[in-house]
Amino acid sequence: MSLINENKDFGVIAELIPNNASVIDVGCNDGSLLEYLREYKNIDGRGMEIDQKKVQLCLAKGISVIEGDADTDLYDYPDKLFDYSILTYTLQATKSPKTVMQQLVRISKKAIISFPNFGHWKIGASLLLNRKMPVSKKLSYSWHETPNLHFCTINDFIDLCEELEIKIEKKGDLSNKKLSNFSGKNFLDSYFNEVGLFLVSKD
Amino acid sequence: MSENKIVTLAEDEPLNLDGGGSLSKFKTAYTTYGKLNDKKNNSILICHALTGDQYVASDHPITKKNGWWSMVVGPDKPIDTNKFFVICPNVIGGCMGSTGPKEINPENGKEFATDFPVITIADMVRAQKLLIDYLGIEKIFCVTGGSMGGMLVLEWLSKFPEMVHSAVPIATATNHSAQNIALNELARQSIMADPNWQSGNYYHSDKKPMKGLSVARMAAHISYLSKEALQSKFGRNLQDKNSLDYSFDADFQIESYLRHQGFTFVDRFDANSYLYITRAMDYFDVSSANNGSLIEAFKNTQSKILCVSFTSDWLYPTSENKKIVKVFNSLGLNVSFIEIETENGHDSFLLDEPKFFEAIKGFINSTFENL
Repeated sequence: MSLINENKDFGVIAELIPNNASVIDVGCNDGSLLEYLREYKNIDGRGMEIDQKKVQLCLAKGISVIEGDADTDLYDYPDKLFDYSILTYTLQATKSPKTVMQQLVRISKKAIISFPNFGHWKIGASLLLNRKMPVSKKLSYSWHETPNLHFCTINDFIDLCEELEIKIEKKGDLSNKKLSNFSGKNFLDSYFNEVGLFLVSKD
Repeated sequence: MSENKIVTLAEDEPLNLDGGGSLSKFKTAYTTYGKLNDKKNNSILICHALTGDQYVASDHPITKKNGWWSMVVGPDKPIDTNKFFVICPNVIGGCMGSTGPKEINPENGKEFATDFPVITIADMVRAQKLLIDYLGIEKIFCVTGGSMGGMLVLEWLSKFPEMVHSAVPIATATNHSAQNIALNELARQSIMADPNWQSGNYYHSDKKPMKGLSVARMAAHISYLSKEALQSKFGRNLQDKNSLDYSFDADFQIESYLRHQGFTFVDRFDANSYLYITRAMDYFDVSSANNGSLIEAFKNTQSKILCVSFTSDWLYPTSENKKIVKVFNSLGLNVSFIEIETENGHDSFLLDEPKFFEAIKGFINSTFENL
């Protein structure tokens, strides 16, 4: 558990989820987030993961996991089956972020989505000064090997939610481990948050 | 190693069959491995496939070969018999000691032959349930099996959901496709076209339908392998010769291999059993008792489930297994799914597939720890 607690994102996400909620983590990796939420929020969790090695890790932890692809396999779930769906650092790697987002808000009452913010000032600076695609802790791949297909900025994400009539309820600031109600685009967020994290829903 | 045991079941009340009719005082041959613990919560029921039997992890009495899942079941194996109490019964209709066409009909003292009632997968499961009752187990920790064994698992989940804590259906389907039925029909016709079949009454004859059964096995065997596996294993290689014979002998290695598969099969399998069991598979539709609704069929299921498929399996392909997963997802069940990449075709579940073993082991052990 020690490794898990070090990941500050988990705590922020856990704050958004009430006890005993049903949760699907799409792109659940080795299942650590689900394990964390099971431990601290007693959730009824499910995972979906495209990488089989990670699927095996989930199985060995007793986490129910579907080897599947967010782009094609979310259709299998009925409307509002889950209280919460979670998509962390996966949106930018999907073939169709738009459809994935639509599916997430369809299969769950609320969706928690996080992604690297391409509008962060360091990324802007890297492009502007070095004329090179940015590589950092959060964006650890070189341009030629990245699985990331669709980078977006926090403002792009907000625009897409508007277009899809998805309601943004809360936003998260991971560096300060802070959650707040969403009240429209914000200069500070879009420049200084390395990660965009939002709680969204659609009735 | 486990001794074969035979128990007579349905002694007081007959087992009513889907097709009408019933079986009373029928025999079930089975093996067990490991020990049932005091809480009686560590039992694993293994359901065999069409031509499998109860010798899951012990040497086969006829072929002398290792049990068909000896890589999976045993001490420190993925299904660890140091920890679990494993039960593997021969299905009714089978030919390794459970009541089936080659066994004696107590009513007239003769072999059943084709007087044996046509049975279904659900009938087999009801018979297995009587064995589980007999063993004093109220809730099976895990029911698993591949191919037809997977159908039995699905039927268990549907018919006796309260008795199944977890389940691993492998390389299976909720019903048989037209292609599945067609392949089975080919096998049955090949048996029945053999004059030695004698309408099923060959048990006292010195002529047995070995050719027909052998061809049936050859056809089926092709469906268990993938095109890639056949090609890489045999290609167009010739058997013990350098040039074509211009005859109908087995010139190609694949011909020789299939003939061998056919010939050796007839020593251990009964042709009438082959007819009955393939029929049961063709009739299988887990939703049939619920007007075709799979959701209804599993509405009382609460078990934790792992579904497994293999990429090169064209007999029970991933798409069929995913259908099962979709139904379980729709019901919000605790279901996992993994697709193992292999070129070994449908037979993969019987072969050395380390990733498959890892998945089973991970699922079963973690589920047991969280009991």
